[in-house]
Amino acid sequence: MNFCGRKAIAFGCLVLLILSVAVPSVAQRALERKVDSLFVIASSAELKSRDQVEPAKDSIAALGVDVVPVLVGKFTTKSARERMTIIQIFKRIGSPAVPYLVRSLNLADGLVVQRVCWALGDIGDTAAVLPLKQVSTHPRWQVRDECLGALGDIGDPRAADAVLAGFSDEAGQVRKAAVVAAGKVGLARAIPGLVAMLADDFYGARLSAVEALLQLDTAVVVATLGDSLHSRRKLVGNLACHVLGRIATDHAIELLYAEAHATDPGRRAHALVALVAADPHDNCGFRDSLMAGETDSAVIRKVQSAVYTARNETR
Amino acid sequence: MLKALLILALCLPLSVAAGQNQPAEQFGIEHLMEYLGMVPGDISFRSDYTEPDSFRLQVVSDLMTRPLDMIAFSTEVKNGHINGQPEIMARYLFKQAARTGQAYRDRAYRADAAELQGSYNLFYNDMTFNQILTRAAAYIDVIIPRSAEKSLAFVTSDQRRFLRDQFKQLLVISESEEFLSVAAADSLEKLENSYCEQFAAFGHRINKDPVIDAGVECLREILMELNTLRAMLKSGAVSAEKIVEGTGYLPGGADLDAYLGKQTGWKVGGPGNDYYNGDYKFIFDFGGDDIYDLSYDPSDPHGVIIIDLSGNDVYRALSDFALGSGCFSVGLLLDFEGDDTYDARSFGLGSGYFGLGILYDAAGNDHYDGDTHVQGAGTFGIGLLIDEGGRDIYNAALYSQGFGFSEGVGVVYDLAGSDSYYAGGKYKAVIHYDDHYESNSQGCGYGIRPYLSGGIGALIDLKGHDNYHSDMITQGAGFWWALGMVYDSSGNDRYTSFQYAQGSGTHMALGILVDGHGDDVYFGKGLMQGCGHDYACGLILDRSGSDTYTAFDLSQGAGSANGAGLLIDNGGDDLYSVRRTANTRGYGNPRRDFGSIGLFIDLGGTDQYHGGGQDNFYWRSDSKWGGGMDIELHPPDTTGSKM
Repeated sequence: MNFCGRKAIAFGCLVLLILSVAVPSVAQRALERKVDSLFVIASSAELKSRDQVEPAKDSIAALGVDVVPVLVGKFTTKSARERMTIIQIFKRIGSPAVPYLVRSLNLADGLVVQRVCWALGDIGDTAAVLPLKQVSTHPRWQVRDECLGALGDIGDPRAADAVLAGFSDEAGQVRKAAVVAAGKVGLARAIPGLVAMLADDFYGARLSAVEALLQLDTAVVVATLGDSLHSRRKLVGNLACHVLGRIATDHAIELLYAEAHATDPGRRAHALVALVAADPHDNCGFRDSLMAGETDSAVIRKVQSAVYTARNETR
Repeated sequence: MLKALLILALCLPLSVAAGQNQPAEQFGIEHLMEYLGMVPGDISFRSDYTEPDSFRLQVVSDLMTRPLDMIAFSTEVKNGHINGQPEIMARYLFKQAARTGQAYRDRAYRADAAELQGSYNLFYNDMTFNQILTRAAAYIDVIIPRSAEKSLAFVTSDQRRFLRDQFKQLLVISESEEFLSVAAADSLEKLENSYCEQFAAFGHRINKDPVIDAGVECLREILMELNTLRAMLKSGAVSAEKIVEGTGYLPGGADLDAYLGKQTGWKVGGPGNDYYNGDYKFIFDFGGDDIYDLSYDPSDPHGVIIIDLSGNDVYRALSDFALGSGCFSVGLLLDFEGDDTYDARSFGLGSGYFGLGILYDAAGNDHYDGDTHVQGAGTFGIGLLIDEGGRDIYNAALYSQGFGFSEGVGVVYDLAGSDSYYAGGKYKAVIHYDDHYESNSQGCGYGIRPYLSGGIGALIDLKGHDNYHSDMITQGAGFWWALGMVYDSSGNDRYTSFQYAQGSGTHMALGILVDGHGDDVYFGKGLMQGCGHDYACGLILDRSGSDTYTAFDLSQGAGSANGAGLLIDNGGDDLYSVRRTANTRGYGNPRRDFGSIGLFIDLGGTDQYHGGGQDNFYWRSDSKWGGGMDIELHPPDTTGSKM
């Protein structure tokens, strides 16, 4: 090969090298530009663009897994609307987005990590469970909150330890996330902890514990509640009445009947109202005898209201 | 037996005893929450849902932790004014304007004796009047400018220009914005966000305290002398004509700037009808029906003191920042008598923009008109409008009538008369609707999410049958780490708004509407009448009277997105109407995997319900989480005995 030939080959190689570097970055920039222009519409709240919002999200999702890094890059946004839009697009992309999102759990920016957790929960792929567990003790409470929320959404029992540990978190929001996750995952082991949470300082955890208990093994829940009705923490017994009323098994009704004789009128009201919920037509025939000696006007009115409501609902 | 009990329950209204000295509403909250498995402390919000900025007010932070304390706080604000002494309310508001964690409140520049002595010759003969002029000169020439300089000591000249030009744009809307394309609107939003970010980088270096303190002290000192002069004029000990006459002689070619009261930018008017036109520092007018055409140049900030003792006056602004406007300075407008007309542009009529602006009108049926950031509006400062008498009309477009933006407190305090308040009708709320307008007024605290925490906006009206009319984010509304409040003590009042109103908190904020006495009407569409949305609390408390509440949805004790909404009516035969029963009257909706708190409480009277709920009833709504009760806290005396 003569000198000119070698030169031509060398030149060709150089061109190929440049192209191999430049073309992907040009393509990447083109992709980013495309995503950016669609994203303006997808995340718009303007009345006049309302019809274009969902198609724009679909268009971005249709670009596939290549847009995941671009969207993760946008996760630092301060706009709640943009944040929601990104998560909705990830959900539409689905499982193909999970590997990159899982890698993003290692990012230093806690704000991004918490949002990645949220997206993984919405996608619901079990491949994210173990990586999520790794961040369940993240120093930032918002990450722990979203992480446990995501583990609950995925609903994989491998999350049990992380969820149970969340019950004693210092942040109310994290305890709430743990309680909700326990219900979604169906953690029977969590029942005693959930009953204790009925007196949690944070109402979100406390009232979520009611809902979580209703999702778990009824017999065990009723037995555990029965043991806790006279807890020194009044809220436990009051909310236990509420749970028992909604469970409405014979055992639950027996416990409520006993509680309807409590000396504290507040507790009596909780038990009686729960009894009405459990047995709206008074098939057990308890109501007359229980109300016969009732003198507290607030208790009477609460029961009266509950009876009226139950009858209307039945109708 | 049960039937007998049911009959008994139906015949006798439910009576419940509240503890002694416990306010009825507090008992109601505790009683209903116990029924729902909650405690009052459940209504509390963390400070770190998002990264806190540097501009949160301590009061707002504290109240976010204990939102139910808004009731006590609004009562405290209502009790903060003493007739004839506007400086007391101004001083009280200064205290409320502390930043979170601010241990020390800075004071005005302390001028030494040499600085205060001045070198003015006296033109006027009256000692008291000269004393007023001397004090005014000390403040206008020395204390206010030096204090303003102290406030901005760590801010560069470029940054000051930014505050004057770009930052102001965050508070200004153009009517043409409704016609922008999606891309242009997005671009504008991004530009405003960049302004916020630029500001956040240096805003913490601004110390608003010295300039506000200077203004409050100036007001206090001048009013002391002014009250003496007014008493002397009233008793006939002195006459305006005589005072204005002065020495009656100035040497030919005399330098007027050397004479107290004759300096450039100073004017003293007699008891006749006078006309003032221009950018003034000081005007003292003894009476007559005067016309003021005033302007202000924000690139040349200075203190402004206008005192008018009587007459039906017309005040007109030729520019923004005129008429009781403190723009990087102090602006005081004190009018003591007459039916006056105030016609401002933007940033006036008690507007503090990096300063203190006070409009004090002691008497008369007055008409207040302005555009944006007017009628008690504060941004990094205090804007205060006090009207002590008469049947007044307030008209504005945006950010007005008790509006507090970042590190700002804005208050309208109207003591008497059946007044009319209107805010809105100019700038379309394009984000949500094409047929409604932004108001952000009438007791509105407002911040920019998530960059700049908001301030405190309050509208206090003590007497009269008042009309409040507005559109969006008004009548006791808070948005983003802010507090908005309305306190109307008496009268049969009518409140009309559309959305985010009448005790409404949105996005980590607080809103409260308290009405003391009277048969009131509350009317609107949604997110109102006690509604908290997104870690926010909205509360409406009506203490007595037979009231009418009408709303469409998400109202009357509604919590949304982990917020808390409370409607509390302590007494009277009320009528409640809603269109949508599924999300009203003790309703909470779920967000972030848990619920909100919605409480509906009626503590007396024979009430009518259209929609959910009923008289003498408890209910737990099918929501997460909420409920209501209608009880008879203080049952009527059925013995027929007379006291």
